[in-house]
Amino acid sequence: MIGFLIQRVLQALMVVIAMSIIVFLGVYAIGNPIDVMIDPASDQALREALIHRYGLDRPLIEQYFVFMNNMLHGDFGESFIYRLPVINLIFSRFPATLELALTAMLIATCLGIPLGLWAGYKPEALSSRAIMAFSVLGFSVPTFWVGLLLIMVFAVELGWLPSGGRGPTTTVFGIPMSITSLEGWSYIILPAFNLALFKLGLLIRLTRAGTSEVMSSDFVRFARAQGLSEGKVVGLHVLKNISIPIVTVFGLELGSTLAFAVVTETVFNWPGMGKLIIDSITVLDRPVMVAYLILVVFLFVLINLVVDLVYGQLDPRIRVKAAS
Amino acid sequence: MKQNSKLGRTFAAALLFGTMLGGSAAVAQTLTIGVRAGPDSIDPHWSTLGSQAETLRHIFDTVVMADENLQLKPGLATSWKPVDDTTWEFKIREGVKFHDGSELTAEDVKFSIDRIPVVTGPMSMTIYTKQVKETKVIDKNTLHVITKAPAPTLPNDFIRLFVVSKNVGMEARNEQFNSGKAAIGTGPYKFVSWEPKGDFVVERFDGYWGDKQPWAKVVRKEIASDPARMAALKSGQVDLVNYVPATDYAAMQKDKSVDTFVADSVYFLNITPNVKETLPKKVKVDGKEIDANPLRDPKVREAMDLAIDRKTLVRVVLEGLGRPANQLMPTNFFGGSKNLPEKPYDVAKAKQLLADAGYPKGFEIDFACTNNRLPGDSAVCEALSQMWARAGLKVNANALNGTVFFPAQQKGEFSLWMSGWGTLTGEASYTYGSLVHTADPAIGLGAFNKQGYSNPEVDKLLEDGSKTMDDPKRRALFEKVTEVSMNDRALIPTVQIQTVWAAKKGMLTVPSRVDQETLAYEIKPKS
Repeated sequence: MIGFLIQRVLQALMVVIAMSIIVFLGVYAIGNPIDVMIDPASDQALREALIHRYGLDRPLIEQYFVFMNNMLHGDFGESFIYRLPVINLIFSRFPATLELALTAMLIATCLGIPLGLWAGYKPEALSSRAIMAFSVLGFSVPTFWVGLLLIMVFAVELGWLPSGGRGPTTTVFGIPMSITSLEGWSYIILPAFNLALFKLGLLIRLTRAGTSEVMSSDFVRFARAQGLSEGKVVGLHVLKNISIPIVTVFGLELGSTLAFAVVTETVFNWPGMGKLIIDSITVLDRPVMVAYLILVVFLFVLINLVVDLVYGQLDPRIRVKAAS
Repeated sequence: MKQNSKLGRTFAAALLFGTMLGGSAAVAQTLTIGVRAGPDSIDPHWSTLGSQAETLRHIFDTVVMADENLQLKPGLATSWKPVDDTTWEFKIREGVKFHDGSELTAEDVKFSIDRIPVVTGPMSMTIYTKQVKETKVIDKNTLHVITKAPAPTLPNDFIRLFVVSKNVGMEARNEQFNSGKAAIGTGPYKFVSWEPKGDFVVERFDGYWGDKQPWAKVVRKEIASDPARMAALKSGQVDLVNYVPATDYAAMQKDKSVDTFVADSVYFLNITPNVKETLPKKVKVDGKEIDANPLRDPKVREAMDLAIDRKTLVRVVLEGLGRPANQLMPTNFFGGSKNLPEKPYDVAKAKQLLADAGYPKGFEIDFACTNNRLPGDSAVCEALSQMWARAGLKVNANALNGTVFFPAQQKGEFSLWMSGWGTLTGEASYTYGSLVHTADPAIGLGAFNKQGYSNPEVDKLLEDGSKTMDDPKRRALFEKVTEVSMNDRALIPTVQIQTVWAAKKGMLTVPSRVDQETLAYEIKPKS
């Protein structure tokens, strides 16, 4: 187990190093961040002074090592744009994104798995065909377009829900959350549903495929022969046997939802991390870009680790292999 | 849960009530604005970003203020005059209170000027104080600003000189301002809260020296996405939005639930021809590269100018939201020329000029533009390449994101490019000094002259002008600069952009500011 963890951490470090090098080279290839930020009324001397002040005149390799050295000491640097510690900046936006991503995953899972089970259990029923048609829409229609449509219908035409923003928050364990109040839910429901749509389609199809495959297997026949109720056969034995791919996809999707919910965040003006990173890219705010991507790497590694541990719980065969 | 649903009902009722009363003074207490961009910090000395200044004007006042046409008017200084060639005397307004109750004196203004170089960021505010050598407090309400050289434009620079209380101390940085601790100004509103890219909230300051404000509270929601901002207005989440896109503007004119307000802007889309000896990427004639730079020939530049149909650009490409331009800033700005004729459109003459210049079959050239800086920039870019095609030129338009465009422009990688420019100080030397004066780092002029244009006559006029304290004389010199450089086609102006605000029907009157600023204290409820 310990060896497994160490291996994972080493993997993460390699990815962090590779990624930070890519970002540094990428920003360097585009040009000098000062040229994007500088005021048009500045003169040449001021431009030189600024480039010097931010250390951008030093060799790239030196800039890189200064940054990495600071990072090893826990200092991710300050944003060029806000002059706030990058870590504070990112974590001030993190709860909003976490809340949105978790709500979206909750919607996708609570709707996707039962619908997928039903569609796989009764593949010929009209309702199953309707579910499958919906799932195709779910991941073929662009997110931003659905988002705008939701806003037009529910916010502008019907006026039931707000068109964007996060609404009031209350502090739970020091973290501002909006899902603690009904009004908060009125803000989160549209963006969460919008974000969930793709994952919903994916989960429905994945669950259905697994279900229809497992339904014809021997153990289902034996379970039925044993006299178990259909509910128990599907809800316990089938679900457990199809859960490995679902958990894998769930983990990956959770990671990407947290890191790249930017389209939904933009359309619904949700104050999350996605908007922060896009804005920092457009102004070449390098400290924010690097720190954010490093955070994303760790997030993915962590989620994958949890997924691996969950495998063991779901399927004893994997546990045995890992132990040996 | 029960309480929550009760709360929900109350909320719904309040909303309903609000809609029914919409526009009456009773609910006109809070003004909610959906803005495209907000500040980067609450420290007014951190950045020259336009949306930063616009937002912080609610909390902090400037020494000199600008009216809706960017012409100077008294701010915290009631008057100013030069006492000798290098000394300006500012009379500081009496009886002005800071939000913490302390009184404004000339010391605070001096402190603010001294503070800028210490705290300012990458969009450096020092451009507004670079002419200042030192400041002397003569008495409580008199400040002498001594400049390095004669500085006739100093009052123009001071329309961005925000005054903070000297009580905040030299140590205060962005954190202290963002938390509100140091956000103590003399402006019409007091700071309540802000977070980066989020809502900016202020409330009325009752001790304000100017007119009493109609709004008890002002909320500026930063909604960068255009469709999201328009939806926020239509769903009633905000009362007013800025930067309405041209397509929405067309639809809104038929919509009975909104009012629209159109204003000329300071932003112009200008084409810059690179006139250096050799181009970074050579032009092609008949598919073969040639060494010469055709853009050095005034006839070629004139031909390209004549081939532009500005009326069509405005009517079709910008959906009417613009004006044909014949110089780099509005004619009523200080140094704008009223003598320049409207630009003609004449393809036949353009072809003739190209033939005279030795390019009867035209040539092929790359053309770079921004695609996200100003409304319509990439559309104008593509339209231009088609217009030039009619005159026989093959122009490869390439609209780039600003993140890519500006560094490449600095490196001198473009042969021909178009970008926006706004004369934010309302005065010619800001624009012409940077764009058409010969690039000369020693005197800090021509910083954005990347096209290699150099005309000794223009240089001399600009340098003389920047030393001339007498307003009418200086104005005449700058008008001449405008005329000469425009006739040389150092840059080729195309259109002046117009911008649009939209508000709930019958609720507000919004002044049309040429700098596009959306200022709550200038917005009044309609009664």
